[in-house]
Formats: sequence, C-alpha cells, structure tokens
Amino acid sequence: MLWSEAKDTDMVKITRRSVLQGTAAASLSTGAGMFSRPVAAQEDELYQAAKKEGRLTRYDGIFEQKTIEAIIEAFKAKYSGIDVQLLRQPSQTLYTRLRLEIQNGVAECDTLGTTNILHFVELKKINELAAYVPKDLDKAPAAFRDIDPDHTFHTAALSVTCINYSPQKAPKPPTSWTELVEGTWAGKISVGSPAVSGDVASWVVAMRHKYGDKFLKDLAAQKPKIGGSSVDTVTDILAGERSVGAGAPFSYSLAQKAAGQPIDVSMPTDDAILNLGVTAVLAKAPHPNASRLFANFLQSVECSQILAKAFWPTLRSDVPWAEGRTLETVKWYRNPVDGLAAEVAEGVAKWKEILG
Amino acid sequence: MSVGPVIARRAPVAGIADPLLDSVRLNPVRAIAVAIVIVSLLLLVLRPLGYIAYNSLHDDLSGSWTLANYGRILSSTTLLRPILNSLVLGLAIAATSVFFGVPMAWLVARTNMPAREWVKALTLTAFVTPTFIGALAWIMIAAPNSGWVNLIWRNLTGASWPVLDIYSMGGAIFVGAIYAVPFAFTIVAAALDEMAVELEDAATTLSSGTLRTMLRITLPLAAPAIYASFILSFIQGVTLFGVPAFLLTPVRISVVTTKLAEFYQAFPPEVFLAAAYCVPLLGLTAILFYVRKRLLGRKQFVVISGKARGSRRIDIGRWRWPALAISLFVPLVAVILPYATLIAISLSKAWGLGLRPDNLTLDWYAYALFRNSQTRTAIVNSLVYAGGSATLCILLGAITAYIVERRLFRGAAWLGGLASAPIVIPGIVLSVGFFAAYTQPPLRLYGTAAILIAAFTATFLPIAYAHAGTLLKGISRDLERAARAVGAGEARTFVSITFPLMRVGLLSGWLLVFIPVTRELSVAIFLVTPSTNVMATLIYNFQDGGNYEAVCALSVVLLIVTFMVVLGTRYVSTRLSSPRAQSLLQGSAT
Repeated sequence: MLWSEAKDTDMVKITRRSVLQGTAAASLSTGAGMFSRPVAAQEDELYQAAKKEGRLTRYDGIFEQKTIEAIIEAFKAKYSGIDVQLLRQPSQTLYTRLRLEIQNGVAECDTLGTTNILHFVELKKINELAAYVPKDLDKAPAAFRDIDPDHTFHTAALSVTCINYSPQKAPKPPTSWTELVEGTWAGKISVGSPAVSGDVASWVVAMRHKYGDKFLKDLAAQKPKIGGSSVDTVTDILAGERSVGAGAPFSYSLAQKAAGQPIDVSMPTDDAILNLGVTAVLAKAPHPNASRLFANFLQSVECSQILAKAFWPTLRSDVPWAEGRTLETVKWYRNPVDGLAAEVAEGVAKWKEILG
Repeated sequence: MSVGPVIARRAPVAGIADPLLDSVRLNPVRAIAVAIVIVSLLLLVLRPLGYIAYNSLHDDLSGSWTLANYGRILSSTTLLRPILNSLVLGLAIAATSVFFGVPMAWLVARTNMPAREWVKALTLTAFVTPTFIGALAWIMIAAPNSGWVNLIWRNLTGASWPVLDIYSMGGAIFVGAIYAVPFAFTIVAAALDEMAVELEDAATTLSSGTLRTMLRITLPLAAPAIYASFILSFIQGVTLFGVPAFLLTPVRISVVTTKLAEFYQAFPPEVFLAAAYCVPLLGLTAILFYVRKRLLGRKQFVVISGKARGSRRIDIGRWRWPALAISLFVPLVAVILPYATLIAISLSKAWGLGLRPDNLTLDWYAYALFRNSQTRTAIVNSLVYAGGSATLCILLGAITAYIVERRLFRGAAWLGGLASAPIVIPGIVLSVGFFAAYTQPPLRLYGTAAILIAAFTATFLPIAYAHAGTLLKGISRDLERAARAVGAGEARTFVSITFPLMRVGLLSGWLLVFIPVTRELSVAIFLVTPSTNVMATLIYNFQDGGNYEAVCALSVVLLIVTFMVVLGTRYVSTRLSSPRAQSLLQGSAT
C-alpha cells in the first residue's frame, strides 16, 4: 500500500484518487502462478465495490475468441462474484456500434479494446473516456507505458505484423519486406486489406513511410490474394492456397504452429510492424469499479502469462514472451501517432488505387 | 386442339362492391384487424425505414442536412459499379435458382419419382446452412490451388490449371444459387401440392403428353409462385454478404453489401452514406415488383375450388431414376459436399494437417457444447428469436395478404407495398435503422430480445407476405362467399374457411422464415449484446479469428439443432394433413 502511494506522487494528479481507490494489497502478486489465487484478506476496496456491481461488459476486438475467453475466465476465477459479458466483434464494427450507442444515449459498454488507437483519440476528444491508471503500469514496457499523457487509454496488446509462410511450399521464405515484393513470389502471396483490418492498415502506413508507393506497386505486380483480416493469411497458408503471407499476424501464426499446423513466421530484417491493442474504461460505464478492476487485471501477471501462452507479447517486463523472444531482440517499428488518421486514409486510398 | 390453361380473366370494376363480401363496410372486426396491421407495419417497417431515409439525407461528419450522399453515389463509378455487379449477381442467382428449383418442385410434388422425401429433406438442409458457411466450404472444395476438386483434377490429368475457380463471379453465382434453390423449391412445391388434378386430367384426356401438360397447365397455374420465388431469389442474391465477401473481394469485385461493410468499417464510420446507398436497390426491386404485377395482372390462379380432389401422381415411367439424379444435384452440392468438408474440419485437431488418423478429435465439439457457455445461450436465443419472428411474420403476413388480396378497402395495396418494402434493404442497414428507431425513449428496446425479434420480423415479413399472397391467390372466393351466404361473419369466415385452407401452406411459410432467421448474420451484427447473442454472430466471430475447427463444429451443431425443429414442423404438418383433416380440406401430406 505504501509502495503504491510513494509511486503515486510521480503520476498525474488527476489520477491520484483512482490510484488510491484502486491499488490492491496484492503487490505480493508479482511472480505468482497461473492458477486462481484467492484474493488476499486485506484486498481492495475496489474489489469490494466491484463485487457490489456484480458484472461488467467488455467490447473486445483485439484478441481472438479463445484468448479473450481465457483472459476473462482467469479474471472471474481471481475475482469471484463478478460476471463478465463479452462482445467480441471486429474492431471497426465495435467502434461503429459504440458511436451509435453514444449518439443514441445508450450506456451499455464498460470497457473497450480495439486495435486502432485512433478510436480512442476520438473518444477522448468527445469526453467519453475515464482517466484511470491501472495497477502495475510501471511494469509495462517503457515505450508503451504512457501512450496517453492523461491516462484515458492504455496498451492492452502488442500486435506484431510480420511475414508468415508454409514450411513445405516455401522452405526459403523471404526475410524482408523488400525481398517479399521484389522476389519470385508472384501468385504466391496472401495479404489482408487495410480497409478492413487495423493491423494491415498500420502495416501499409509503415511500408509507405519506408518505401513510398513503389512498395504497393511492386506488391500489386506479385498478384497477391487480397482478403480482409490479417488472419486470412493464416487461412490461405493452411489451406494451401498461397504459400507466403504479407502483413501477417505474428502471434496467431505462432499459436497455430504450436497447435501443429504447417505454418511458421519470418521476422523481417527491415522491421516487423508493431500496432497497439488499446483499452479504456468508458466515462459513462454502468459498472465503473468493475471496469477499473478489469483494467488492473489486463496489466497483471496472470493476464500476461495467458498472453505468453497464446504467443502474444506480454505487457510486463517481469513476464517473458514465449520461446524466449523479447521486445529488445525483435526488430520492430511503430507508426507515430501524429497525423496517423490522415495517413491511414491516404494509405487505404492508395491501396485501392494500386491494388484494386 | 390446343389445351390452354384455364385462367379466367376477371376485371373488377373499381368502386363497386362485391355483393356478398363487401356488404358490410363498417365491420368492426375488420376495422380492428386492419388497424392492428397498420400499426404493426408502422412500427416494424415505416419507423426504421424512416430513420434510414432520414439518415441518408444527413452528413456523417457534421450531421447537417445534405443531398451530398446521393450526389457522391451517382457521380462515382467506384460506387456505381458495385450496384451493377449486385444486379448481375441477383438476376443470375434468381434465374439459376428457378431453373433448378421449379423442375425439382414439380418432380417432388406431382410425380412418382422415388425418394421424394429425401430430396425434400436434403433441400431443406441446404436452406438451414448460413450462406457464408456454404461459401467457406466451397472454398475448401474449389479454390484454384488448394481446392480438393482441383487437386484431384490435377492428379488425374496432369493439367496445371484448375477446373474450377470458386473465386469468380461464376463461383459466387453458383454458391448463391444453390442456397437460393430451397426458396424456389419450397414455394413452388407448396403451390403445386394444392393444385387440383382435374385440370391435368383434362389435358391428358385430350391426349396431351406429360411434358406438355406440365408446360401448358401446371406451370402457368403455378406462375405466381414461380414469380415470387424469382423475386425472392433475386433479393437473396442482392443482399448476400458472406458469399461476395469471401469469393468476390479477393478478385476485386465489389457488390453493394461489401461496399456497405466498407462504409461501416471506415474511420470515421460512414453510416449515413451507407443509408443512401440502399436507395438504388429499392428502385431495382420496385421495378421487379411492377413487372410481376404486369405479368400476373388480374388473372385468377384458383386451384382450390371447394371440390374434393384426388391426389394422383403423374407416372414418369422410365424417367424416374434420371429425374432423381437431377433432383439430387442441388442437395449434393449444397449439402453433402460442403458438410462432408465441414465435418472433416470439425474433427481435426489442426485443420491444416488434413484428414489423418492422428489428427482426429472430438474436442472442438466438446469445446463448443460444454466448455463454452456462449454456445448454449446462442443456440437458445437463435431458436427463440427465429420461432418468435416466424410466428409474427406468418400472422402479420397472412392477415396483410388477406386484406390486400381481398381488397378490403381502397388503397389496401399500399399495405402490401409496406409489408414488402424491407425486403431489399441489406440486413446491415436495417440493423442500424432498428438501432436508431428503438434505442431512444419511449421505445427503448436495445439490448433486449424484443429488438432482435422485431428486426428479424421486419426483414422476413416480405417473404411471409409474398408466400401468403401466393396461397391466397389459389383459394377461390366462392368458398368464402358460400360461408357468407349462410350467414357467417367476415372474421368467422376467415377463421373457419380461409385460414384452415392456408394452414398447411403457412406452415411451410413458417419454415421459410424460421430457417433464414437462424442463419441471418447482417441484421444481428449491431443489435446483439452478449446476453442476446445468436449462433450466426458467434460462428462469424470464430471465423474472423481464423478458428475454422470451431467454426465448423458450431455450424454442424447449428445444422443439427435447426434440423430437429424442421422435423418437428413436418410432424405437425403431417398431423394437420391427417385423413380427418383431409376430408375438410384438400391438402395432401407434404
């Protein structure tokens, strides 16, 4: 308790109250196991307040169904008495729905998670987000700790985009983005669409930063199969329809590999692209305490361990990624947020113009 | 001597009442029934559509009134071309669906082809399949590089090119059509079931051959049903989302529904532009309805005339087995092949490894049924919403059709137009229309089952109405006149005479709504909440995450559950057509 209060002085004043409200005595929870731990006796007022609320509603577009279900089950095991209603839909659909709800004065969503930081920038502008600093935020990787100086939204996931491939059909996969679009991969590439997927949009913006529109033209010349979500690359490779995927999901490909599927990833030497999964508590959340408790949980050791098991990067420096990878050893690049909205729009337009 | 169809031309003179049926103009029961129908249609159709129209005239960013949305659509080829593509897709699907469905319906309803019940059951199974699942299964079957049909072809012939490429307009038409055939089949079969054999007997007596009788007597009498199924298949084709999203987007062909998805997923979302984008579709469908009206005109298609009829089947002799082969084509490609693929994947630990003994498991079913509470909730919800909306649709559709067909008041045809209006609005736009219409007080239904049932009812009311209308066209007014002549009131006549005559047909109409609701995705997307989630959206979530094993297991579960309901209705249908019931009606067992 004291430890957290000392840290508290470093943080923005506006959140002090929330931090005082929110900190669990479970600073002893560091290095704990995966199994459900009964909450310690001198546990949180926050937990008690959340328990009174009894439930929370999470809109999530970041994780695939099984991973977000695992996170929620672990949350419910740790904090018994709090039900979690999950609405899992693609990020863009969730955002449209939330805007419709806001326009019509409906407060149904407690906490939101999508793969597009621009959603949160907009929601913050219209004062729909609550400021809150989750416990153990200091354990988050430094580069992604303070993505919003006012702490209205936080990192929930590191979504890495790389190259994936079929080991049987492409035993020597491309090792860089330039090799992918300039090499002998005509008719063999699968890719998603930036109009549909936040991850693919972020990849397209990054590629245009690095290589300009020439990259898109070279990609078009390879006659790729264009799907929607970045996950479609995995589908095409597993089906055998294509042998290499561009703008492909790192975590999901590795999870499929671990399940025995014939797929693997190739980390590009000219940077994997890193897009953030972002989460926030809504200002008009009907269950504010439960929402904050959930925000704490996303930053917790248990959650990061679940992420590691699913081959997602973890959100804590004290929980390692699967297979020994780390943020420092993976070459990554992230788009700057300034001007991102315009760049995404331009990227989508150029994509349609060049790739149809 | 030529044998023409017996189609009486009757041109009622406007303004002059039918002496018996319209004698009591201010009938209170009639007034109440009409009032209920009008209010229901206002709430279910006019209000959401009104919001859609209202939204289409506003700007997405500023919220101000504007015609710019329409301007943008009409001036941009990238926005006009998908409309053309939708038109082509819809017409081709409709033509193919009728081409397959009508002969199948005739063979099953009127001839002695063997295994008729199997053909019916399998065709209904096709109906139960969400079309996007069918599209996914067909990708596994016919994708140019990896589809197993092409793999077998390449093995056999050594060719380097594929024999089938599902990623094409032809592929989309094919998949769309095989899942629209059940519409044509069910509607036309229901009409043919009720048909009196005397007309065909008369033709045969005058030495007309089987084929000629079919072409000159049977099919013309079934014309309303055939046109109805053409229009419905067209609508189905135009409002498809999954099929064009999976099969046409990879080859850069956009249709209206995939373009709409882009608008909704844009940042910031272009919801109002999407509303405006539906209007051209409305225009197209209005044209179709007008054409249908001109073709059917004021002709009578009475087949139920109050006299008992035999239920003799036409003997097609040595054509029986070839006929069966033809009839099994659609079930083969819509059900057997896709579900074999789905089951194979659902039993795989890792579907990329293919069907191998060491890759088999029942774990995905265990996950879907026992370890995932969302599935159980979704199954119950799907069945309840489908049952609720089907019942509402049939009741409202039947009464509306009665009011319109029997012209209970001047301008009754407008009610028919209103009941038919939602048909061409793509599900996702209707979803937003309902969202807007029923999220604010005093009618705050968001998050409840009611809003979903209402939205599904509105979506499929046009089908129920068209189906009921077709049934009514085949029932002679003589029967009603007879009842009125002996003193029965209008309500009593409807309840004792008209409705029972429609009953068996309405049951297949109930299924015509129930089944599409269980597989409907687009309407549900913006209206479901975690507690009101349905199977279609759950399956789509798994698909979005690439978890095909779960997708396939859930699809098979959905199929089994829906099929059990279908079997239940067939049991009821048989009871309704029991010998005792038959002595009162002339319906044969379906």
